Amino acid sequence: MEKSQIKDELDNIFKKIFNNETLEISENMSANDVDNWDSLSHMLLITEIEDHFSIKFKLRELNKMKNVGVLIDILSSKLN
Amino acid sequence: MVFTSFNFLIFFPIVIVLYYLIPSRIRWCFLLLTSIFFYANVLPLYVILLLFVSLITYLFGIIIEREKSDSKKEKFLIIGIILVFLPLFIFKYYDFLNEMIFNFMDYFSIRFPLPKLNLLLPVGISFYTFMAIGYLFDIYNEEIKAEKNIGLITLFLSFFPLVLSGPIERAPSMLPQFKSELTFNYEKAVQGFKFIIWGYFMKLVVADRIGIYTDVVLSNMEYHSGKTLLFTVLIYPLQLYADLGGYSLIAIGVAGVLGIKVRRNFNRPFFATTLSEFWRRWHMSLISWILDYVYTPLSFAFRRYKMKGVLLTVILTLFIMGMWHGATLTYLMWALFQGVVLSFEAITKNKKFAFEKKYNLSKKWWYIAFGISITYILFAFSFLTGGNRHTFSEGIMAFEKIINFSGSIFIDSPSNLIFIILGAFILLLKDFKEEFFSSRLLFFNNKLKIIRILSYSFIIILILLIGVFDAGQFIYFKF
Repeated sequence: MEKSQIKDELDNIFKKIFNNETLEISENMSANDVDNWDSLSHMLLITEIEDHFSIKFKLRELNKMKNVGVLIDILSSKLN
Repeated sequence: MVFTSFNFLIFFPIVIVLYYLIPSRIRWCFLLLTSIFFYANVLPLYVILLLFVSLITYLFGIIIEREKSDSKKEKFLIIGIILVFLPLFIFKYYDFLNEMIFNFMDYFSIRFPLPKLNLLLPVGISFYTFMAIGYLFDIYNEEIKAEKNIGLITLFLSFFPLVLSGPIERAPSMLPQFKSELTFNYEKAVQGFKFIIWGYFMKLVVADRIGIYTDVVLSNMEYHSGKTLLFTVLIYPLQLYADLGGYSLIAIGVAGVLGIKVRRNFNRPFFATTLSEFWRRWHMSLISWILDYVYTPLSFAFRRYKMKGVLLTVILTLFIMGMWHGATLTYLMWALFQGVVLSFEAITKNKKFAFEKKYNLSKKWWYIAFGISITYILFAFSFLTGGNRHTFSEGIMAFEKIINFSGSIFIDSPSNLIFIILGAFILLLKDFKEEFFSSRLLFFNNKLKIIRILSYSFIIILILLIGVFDAGQFIYFKF
């Protein structure tokens, strides 16, 4: 799956989890940039992404996700 | 040797002079020897434990990194953590568990009593144990490379400014600093001394003055009136903040003078508007440690259970935190209380957010003040459910007395009360100013040198005049 496609699909998941239709994700975006992105919603986000792409993350991958760009990289390496 | 002891006032200047006299590439060795000496000065025998934990940390760091397969890495991580945790477990939890199991078996009339150990808890053991566990996790997570120099690992765990009470540092920020050229930096050193002065003020003037009052009341709660208990409950959080917050500032300052940057531990906690925000500002090095190495792995493991999983994780994490504070049932009650409030905040978070947005509340001063007060009161009263001073039933009794608002307020000495109010006022005023008006009304960061000097002189005079110099102990040394 192309990274741009992953990003588009993630965009919808983010809108749903953070309940914000105007939210546009970018590679540099991190938890600090989004209202309500805390440890709680983070885990809901992770499960939603896992279900959507039918994958499972490892704890180590979770720890590496410092921003959306890294998340896309990890997803792309798992999906391809 | 504690920071408030006379010995430290002699020890530290000698360390500074020698440290900057020797060549910079061997300064880390000097720090290591000084740290071992500092720790041995508290309890010589327990240096062995510190060295044992350092050795295990060093070895398992290398083993975890070298292992190729994920499952083996995980296995060695777990073995490493168990070994590192073993001394803390034996010293802190053995007697507690032993007694619980004995009582449980006794209920079924089975009696196999194991001997009680009654060991004296090695100071700082949980701080360096946590740092060691964090290091092993960081290697497993591939955040850092395993350190090949056992001396640096030992220095990381025993670094004397932090070894007794934290802040709980992380290897990725400390090891590179120890490896770099440790040169004298004027700005860092001056900032360090400023932190030290504030730290002494918080500890000696605020914490220990309040301590004189709360010690009397908390150790004899049944003899005190509702009004006295209410006053005590309300000032006790200030004492805890000034005690550990002050200690942390001294530690950060001492490290700073030696050119080492250490993370901050408190961020004006009493200006948080919710309890969850409070816990992001209070004892931050511990909380972020727990978040990264306890909460995150647990919530990751329970993520399939959605909200139930989150609540379970919050309660389990607080349970572990309560156990850390003290292996007693009252601390577990305290943790449960926190857990219930935090879970409530988590569940209602989105609704609250929408409500605040609708009425545009988040910038209104009275709304902020309301949130701050509620959070402070919740935190203050949570100590009635438990804590180190009294039992749960005594707490309930105290709560009833407070509700009845009985009797008159107990004043041990009017001057002490005035000093408490003065010290707490200055501390809170400083925090208040930094929270809301950080670039206005500058005293301690004023452009004019004379105002800066006068401001710090005022604080030093207060320390000398009303500081308590014979209280000695920090509350957090017990951990």
